[in-house]
Amino acid sequence: MIKRLTSKITVIGYCLLVIGISSCSDFLEIPSRSEIILEEFWNEKNDVDNVVAGCYSRMQGEDVLQRFIVWGECRADNVKAGNRIDRDANLDNVLKENITTKNPYTGWDGFYSVINRCNTVIKYAPGVAAVDPGYTESELKATIAEVSAIRDLMYFYLIRTFRDVPYYTYAFTDDDQPMDLVPTPFEAVLDSLITDLEVQQNNAMKRYAITDTYYQTGRITKCAIWAMLCEMYLWKGDYDNCIKYADLVINDKKDLLKERPNISSSISGSSNDSRTNGFPLSTGGLSGSSYGSFYEDIFTSGKSVETIFELLFSPLNKSLAGRNGSGWPGNYGAGRLYGYASSSAMNDAFLDVSSVVSGDGGRTSGRSVYANENYYADSRLYINSNQGTGDAIRKFVTQSVMVGQASNHTSKPSVNYGTYYTHSVVNNVDYYENSSSWVIYRMADILLLKAEALCQKLQEGSTQEIVAYNTPYLDQAFTLVNAVNKRAVAQPISSLTDTLQRSKYNTKSEMEELVLKERQRELMFEGKRWYDLVRRSMRDGNTDVLCEAMANRESTNASYVNNFFGNSGTGMWAIFWPYNDEETKVSANLAAHQNPAFSSGETNIQK
Amino acid sequence: MAFALLLSYTASAQDITSVHGTVSDEMGGLMGATVCEVDGTGRIINSAVTDLNGNFTMKVKNTKDKIRFTYVGMSPQVLPINKTTYNITMKSATTLKEVTVKSKKRAQGNGLPIPERELSYATQTISMKEFEGLGITSVDEALQGRIAGLDIIGNSGDLGSGSTMRLRGVSSLSSLTDSNPLIVVDGNIREVNLADFDLAGANNEKFAELLNINPEDIAEIRVLKDAASCAVYGSQGGNGVIELTTKRGARGKPKLTYSLKLTGTHQPKGYDLLTGDDYTMMLKEAYFNPYQDDNASDIPEISYHTSDAEFRDWRQYRANTDWRDAVTQTGLRQNHYVTISGGGEKASFRIGGGFDHETGTIIKQKLNRFSTRVALDYNVSERIRVSTNFSLTYTKNKMNYDGLLDIAQKKMPNMSIYEYSPTGEVVGYYTMPREGPYAGSSVFNDDQKKYVNPVASANLAKNDRRTYDMSPELVINYRLLGTDEDHHRLDYRGSVYMNIFNQYDDKYYPWELTPLNYNADINTSYRASSKSVSFNTKHTLTFTPRFTNKDHEAMFMGRFELTSGSSNGQSTNAKRLATGVENPSAAGLGLEPGSWYNQWRSMYYTFSTHYSYKGRYVVDFTVRVDGTTKFGPGNRWGYFPSGSLKWIISDEPWMQKLKPVLSMFAIRPGWALTGNQPNQNYLYTSKYGTVSNYIDMGAMAPLNIRLTDLRWQKKSEFNGGIDLAFFDDKIRLTIEAYHATITDMLMPNYRVPSSVGFTTVPYRNSGKMRNMGWEFHITTNRFIKKGKFYVDMNANFGNNRNEILEMDEYVLNNLNSTYDYKNGETLRRVQLHNPFGAIYGFKFKGVYTHNYKTFVNLNLSDEEFKQFTQGTLPDEWYADHGWEKRPYTAPVVTGPDGELIREADGTPKRMRYDYRSDGTGHTSSHQGFNGGDAIYEDANYDGNINALDISYLGSSLPKLTGGFGFTFNYGDWRLSTQFTYRVGNKILNLARLNLESMIGNNNQSQAVNYRWRKEGDVTTMPRAMHGENEAYNSLVSDRYVEDGSYLRMSYAQLSYAINKKYLKWIGLNRVSFYASINNPFVITKYSGVDPDISQSGYDPAIDRAQTPRSRSYTLGITVDF
Repeated sequence: MIKRLTSKITVIGYCLLVIGISSCSDFLEIPSRSEIILEEFWNEKNDVDNVVAGCYSRMQGEDVLQRFIVWGECRADNVKAGNRIDRDANLDNVLKENITTKNPYTGWDGFYSVINRCNTVIKYAPGVAAVDPGYTESELKATIAEVSAIRDLMYFYLIRTFRDVPYYTYAFTDDDQPMDLVPTPFEAVLDSLITDLEVQQNNAMKRYAITDTYYQTGRITKCAIWAMLCEMYLWKGDYDNCIKYADLVINDKKDLLKERPNISSSISGSSNDSRTNGFPLSTGGLSGSSYGSFYEDIFTSGKSVETIFELLFSPLNKSLAGRNGSGWPGNYGAGRLYGYASSSAMNDAFLDVSSVVSGDGGRTSGRSVYANENYYADSRLYINSNQGTGDAIRKFVTQSVMVGQASNHTSKPSVNYGTYYTHSVVNNVDYYENSSSWVIYRMADILLLKAEALCQKLQEGSTQEIVAYNTPYLDQAFTLVNAVNKRAVAQPISSLTDTLQRSKYNTKSEMEELVLKERQRELMFEGKRWYDLVRRSMRDGNTDVLCEAMANRESTNASYVNNFFGNSGTGMWAIFWPYNDEETKVSANLAAHQNPAFSSGETNIQK
Repeated sequence: MAFALLLSYTASAQDITSVHGTVSDEMGGLMGATVCEVDGTGRIINSAVTDLNGNFTMKVKNTKDKIRFTYVGMSPQVLPINKTTYNITMKSATTLKEVTVKSKKRAQGNGLPIPERELSYATQTISMKEFEGLGITSVDEALQGRIAGLDIIGNSGDLGSGSTMRLRGVSSLSSLTDSNPLIVVDGNIREVNLADFDLAGANNEKFAELLNINPEDIAEIRVLKDAASCAVYGSQGGNGVIELTTKRGARGKPKLTYSLKLTGTHQPKGYDLLTGDDYTMMLKEAYFNPYQDDNASDIPEISYHTSDAEFRDWRQYRANTDWRDAVTQTGLRQNHYVTISGGGEKASFRIGGGFDHETGTIIKQKLNRFSTRVALDYNVSERIRVSTNFSLTYTKNKMNYDGLLDIAQKKMPNMSIYEYSPTGEVVGYYTMPREGPYAGSSVFNDDQKKYVNPVASANLAKNDRRTYDMSPELVINYRLLGTDEDHHRLDYRGSVYMNIFNQYDDKYYPWELTPLNYNADINTSYRASSKSVSFNTKHTLTFTPRFTNKDHEAMFMGRFELTSGSSNGQSTNAKRLATGVENPSAAGLGLEPGSWYNQWRSMYYTFSTHYSYKGRYVVDFTVRVDGTTKFGPGNRWGYFPSGSLKWIISDEPWMQKLKPVLSMFAIRPGWALTGNQPNQNYLYTSKYGTVSNYIDMGAMAPLNIRLTDLRWQKKSEFNGGIDLAFFDDKIRLTIEAYHATITDMLMPNYRVPSSVGFTTVPYRNSGKMRNMGWEFHITTNRFIKKGKFYVDMNANFGNNRNEILEMDEYVLNNLNSTYDYKNGETLRRVQLHNPFGAIYGFKFKGVYTHNYKTFVNLNLSDEEFKQFTQGTLPDEWYADHGWEKRPYTAPVVTGPDGELIREADGTPKRMRYDYRSDGTGHTSSHQGFNGGDAIYEDANYDGNINALDISYLGSSLPKLTGGFGFTFNYGDWRLSTQFTYRVGNKILNLARLNLESMIGNNNQSQAVNYRWRKEGDVTTMPRAMHGENEAYNSLVSDRYVEDGSYLRMSYAQLSYAINKKYLKWIGLNRVSFYASINNPFVITKYSGVDPDISQSGYDPAIDRAQTPRSRSYTLGITVDF
């Protein structure tokens, strides 16, 4: 009896043991199907390419692309509140210079997300090269150069916006890595970025295959790195290097045109060379009624020869569903902030053109950006804002702007706007169906950066000696500015009347003023203006120029601006942004280095 | 001789064919004693009766049988058949010492059949016998108010959605697991995991389970409250457990029962809303007031235009529509249920089948449910029993696409439901055109224009869901050793349980509801199917040793359990379908297919033991080991021990004198450790997933930061209980107190500096929380009895407090919202060592009667100001100004004694709102308070209403919650009532705040008709001011903090069973009728519809206008054939 019992127990016991112990560790491992785990990833070149693409697409996310606009434009004088601003009180506060640490636009998480993706590629790509024979050493180096450049670009945006930021070049993968980092000073970060890019420029891709139509402008190239170095040296105050890299960019673009003569129809003929002073600017069909068509070439079609680096968005009429999914997304940021046309000419936007662009209500005066120059003949006036049917931003909103010939600076040419980007609401969610390219570097920008560097070579004074020294620099700078300006004049090159006069710009300050203004006219709404003012303030050591520009805004008044930016204690801090409250809550180091010019907007609450 | 005897023995043993002998007692031979041959099962084979002298002869069939002698009054004797002659002397049975028959009611405690008396845990049981003949329509209804410490929060009012339950407060603040107690049906846990797909529906799914079980099938409900009792469920039982036992077949001839319930339901009304006329008047003022400009209020929709020239859609804006009335109706529910049960020696069965048909209290909601449950038991042999169970529920639920009631509360009442042609005919439903030439105002763009016409939505949109829920189970019981208490017993129970759940969704939203142009996304359609299959097997060995010393009793149980499951689904979304086509795959544009997959596995080992000495000293010990896929290899296994003791003092010999009064007195301390796990797999490794593409490149990215040391959340709970019973268990009383400490709390979405590339890590073990409270419940057993009349009662009450003891400073910082000074914004403050649920806000002091300018122009002296505020200025003064003589107020700053404070230039200082010298406050949009604005107490007399004036306004934690009920019986009549109550808690009534704020275009409650309209009005309702930042009259203040105490009658039921003797002639066994009413009334001072709002998570109790529980009336009949 007992024996039978023991044998039965043994049998059952064994059964349990077999079911339980032997298989238990395997049993509790579930293969993941919707995601791939680290241990199964990073095996082949394709994995690397996928994450590299993830670095780019992260920049298109709302929290990066909209920041390009908000950080680069909304505190400056190009924009004012649009008729939808009531839906975004935070943006309204930015426009009113009422920025607190709670304002979500002070958040930078999207930028660091890009940075971490880049660092992750740098961490794991060498391992892939070791196991995948199809992934060569030079390809690995090109990958690292590409993602390093993206990372450096993100840091460059961050330091220009926040001054000192946490800087690191390793990947965060584990929760036991120290996360509370001390912000690195502006200069140190800038130097590191330059050092890194100087190395990476040698490894980066010079030309993508001609069949990959969009890669040459949509991904990082040697030329893009040079453009970044050009601007970084300008911020650093190293003007010779700035000029050097600007020339590298210009020559590279010229080479590209020679190598691939069929690439663009928008640069043609020697007639245009005289318009662009020989610089490779997009000029397609500048005649008849199509002045302004370079706009469509650069922003709507994308991959323009003028463009050095841009973020490309899904062309219209393809699936735009992927804004939150895995498709190729549309340009939500520009669509949301700059508006759209829901039926006819209505512009439903969060931002609107300010009066420095559109002038007074009657659009006859006060248009200070264009005031002393070519006025009505400047086709950028119509690209930037629609003159005549109510003030609204047109750049990034329409797909083409056709400007007719202007006889002189006081008579208005005919203007035709092409199709507008649209908008739809599904289940109370707004979809902004915008596909315009977000251009980060283009030739006009580089030409003007070089002009700005040349200005810094000038000396003050009017002695003959100084004049003789200055003249070649002034000539060079003027040629650059004039090339950009002439391209936009809605007149045939043969009868160009409304153009800049070299004779008006003979001193350093005059030329500096011209360059700054030309940058504003040319790069309006492209997220550059505020950084131009910050760079100027840092160079000057005061905020005078910034205050002068800001005095013309409608969102703030001059006395407020002078108090805030002119403050001897915190004025130079006020040109940067504060760290977000959510960040300082979880980082003692950031809290200790908080920007002193801004408050949390909160008084202590009784406990 | 010996040899001969031996010979005869051996011979006789083989071929005895008959026996003979005498039966006698001490007095001599017995006449009429019975002699029988019986076989092993006790069956009688042969029998004989003794003659006058006690002699007998009987034939014998089989020598393996036994011979039995019986005589009235004598103890029977059973002997083996091994001889032919039996001379028996019977002994009188009366001389034997007294024998008491003890039977113990056994309960499944920690998987062991422990005598109920010896249970050492905090549990509470409700036998469905109590509800026999009563019309309980769902399990949660049966539990309402009956279980101390169980808080049942009302459901959403939609068909097919269950209640939310909280047992002993929340044990976890995070949303990582739902805080509902675990529901166990016949030992099985339903594993349906569609959560990845439809988060909002997850809670409903959970409770669909309760809804899928017909109350007619339930034999008993047991609620396990303390951690020690839940220990066998390990990490699954962290929120308490509700165990349901279903009925099984019983020996007897087949019994057929049919029951029918008819229920009518309706929604309580809630606040009276404005009529169209009142609404337009209010809105006109709201738009006029901020600008004092008629143009601002020139809105065609509210201007009662009379011609197409003025406003094309003028005909649609002249109505007095009661939208709420238009979308609500009286719901009707029929429940049919048939059961057949019966069985014989070898097998028993019970088969039930039911059909429910419901229409909702909101129009166009319809639910059909078919359910069946089969239980079969077959005794293969004395030792082996096989059981199989099967249940199936099919539900077809026609739901609303939009939240109609919610929209109806907000929708402008001057708009008509139907669109009328110029000749006055209805041409369709009316919805504000959202695009195209529309002469209306754009002020409605963001609200009214987005609210769909709820009547149109109900009729035109489609949102159907069908579900199939199947659970087959096979169980084998095998008694490996003894079969009764006189032997060692070792029982094996093995079961295989599956759960198959399929769900099909079908939605369509036609263009009529989204008046957009054709290029926009109209005619949208969605179809999805999802399925979940889970498999569970349990193997249990229970060993019960036999002790020769009957004082000892012990049981040991070992169990191995394994669960594996997967779920997946796919969906198709389409837009811009041709009108009339509802199938998304017919789409020309925007077809968006999606799919998902989910898988889970776990493994559990349980060991449990029970020991008692003399039936009054009890020790229980359980340990469970949980293995899960959620943690990395190092932390994969969690160990959860528990132990509890019980001392039944009343059984001590020295207590016996008190026995007639105190029939039970026991104390039981217990302790246990339970755990909790996150709801995601692979947190311990880096995951990569697809992200938005770039150009033509597919893109992937790391999705998380790897959690290197993720651990189980642990809860250590002490529970002390006292059981008392008086007067032979006529009154039973239980008191429980508990103290639980939760450590390594799993905080989801832990914020990290985003400079690491991620804003959060998915989980972090951080913090420590305490949860303590006490409970008391009392039940009676025919407490008052007089003839055919008796009364029973039950009552319970309890209290619970949550408190954070330790928490990462960053986490705490992030929990505490920063105050943004917005209307209707609540301030959350979570502080260490303070219970949750405190309400903070401003103090409301009425409404300013006069404008600032008007007041300044009065040029009052300091003394006159005092008289002004008291209404004691000279009569002539009032006459001069033409004002009524009464106290007035103006938005000026006063000191502690009510004295007027002046600026340096002597003008009275104006009361400002959140004024900051750096210009970051609300000064730019708000120039200061004015007539008609709310008066807030300026606690620090600084002339500035800001955060410093916020004070503590009360606690939303009740002092006491509980329920009680009475049952009155008289013969065949029974009246049963149940009440729930809550005392001493405050509720922040945001629902009322939003209905009285007058800052938007939503409809408001009729209370706003008493608003301030012109200077001099004395009222407590501020003026209408459209716009978030125009006025701050609806800040969270004590104006909206209300006493939430209430007493609710949960139900009253009257039942009558027709006496059997009247039924015999038609062949029925039982016919009973009942009528019941649910939620007939609530006694409360609370102004909202339903004061049943409890504190949850970090926030205080806030009434966000959830759907109130409906009121219902049921008529039912049950017939036994």
